[in-house]
Amino acid sequence: MGQLVCENIEKKYGKKNVLNGVNLTIEQGKIYGLIGRNGAGKTTLLSILTAQNPATEGSVFYDGMPVWENRETLDHLCFSRELNTLSILGPNTIKVKEYLRMARIYYPNWDRDMEQRLVAQFGLDVKKRISKLSKGMLSMVTIIIALASKADITILDEPVAGLDVVAREDFYRLVLEEHEAAGRTFVISTHIIEEAANVFEKVIFLKDGSILLEEDTQELLERAVHVSGLAEEVDAACAGLTVHHTEMIGRSKGVTVLLEEGQSLAAGYDVTIQPVSLQNLFVALCGREE
Amino acid sequence: MNELLSQDKSIYLQLSEMIETDILRGILLEEERVPSTNELAKLYTINPATAAKGINLLVDEGILYKKRGIGMFVAKGAKEQIIAKRKDAFYENYVKALLEEAKSLGISSDQLIEMIRTHE
Repeated sequence: MGQLVCENIEKKYGKKNVLNGVNLTIEQGKIYGLIGRNGAGKTTLLSILTAQNPATEGSVFYDGMPVWENRETLDHLCFSRELNTLSILGPNTIKVKEYLRMARIYYPNWDRDMEQRLVAQFGLDVKKRISKLSKGMLSMVTIIIALASKADITILDEPVAGLDVVAREDFYRLVLEEHEAAGRTFVISTHIIEEAANVFEKVIFLKDGSILLEEDTQELLERAVHVSGLAEEVDAACAGLTVHHTEMIGRSKGVTVLLEEGQSLAAGYDVTIQPVSLQNLFVALCGREE
Repeated sequence: MNELLSQDKSIYLQLSEMIETDILRGILLEEERVPSTNELAKLYTINPATAAKGINLLVDEGILYKKRGIGMFVAKGAKEQIIAKRKDAFYENYVKALLEEAKSLGISSDQLIEMIRTHE
């Protein structure tokens, strides 16, 4: 087992820059959450990490070895892509069981027992064609592939899209079990932030093709505060600090502050100080500028 | 009015407390119009009926009043009224909890009084 390092990754599609110099180290045995708005470059980054997509600049290393066209390193990685009812040639008419059979050949450490257990747990009909699956069922297939691959570093792209809340909880529980039992590393992108916040040891915010921050989730939340009250009081309490996402209504003002090492709010002002959820923080940092 | 809503308490109660706090802090002045139910609903992305429930609570207490066709306004004397109300609730909300925690930690009344006296 090793860590996955990407150095200065740039990706251009034609003239469009999708990733602008991404440096990232995925440490072994941790669960990462990758969060970004639609079009931020999440899927592109994840596919480059696993050599399913060539980077325009930069390289990716697993355990010190380049991953590009390197079977030895790719055996340790699994990127379970979002599955579609359509393929390039039209409807994806492959049956679920055939798709799973291909995965079994591709992933050297495939866990057949786990595959069958998960198929039963999710109540998935493997005789169905991919083109006939609902959104939630497509997600189940990608989850089964990710988990049964037993890859050291497993990457999932929006695995819970379309899943009901019970299945989503089941999924995160399975991830935690695999993490606990086998020390597997997971990178999971999701738009349903709040329910995953406690599962992620580390969180990565991707904004417009750049990494905005990469940090221990709980440490990040501890240094994030929301300050509100009379505008002058809020300004005084936050003097000298970088404020994000200012909202004003009449004389009232609310701001989000990320305190840096050694910083604190000025005391003695009549303001409301509240903790910020990961979702609130994401909106404050990556939401539309007012 | 820019506070974040939490999961700890009913949304309409948080809303009415937020407006009260704004009146105490001079963010909303007496005889001034407060945001309408629909404006609040949009601001916090909540159902307008929930926003209305929070507003109506304050109307029932006489802190806000309705001007037909114009909107909701802060009543004269609202600030005094809120201070009086919060003073009444101070024992229930703060002192009781303080005493309970002190008791469970074995802090005596004398020690507690000493702490308050020496605080700044």
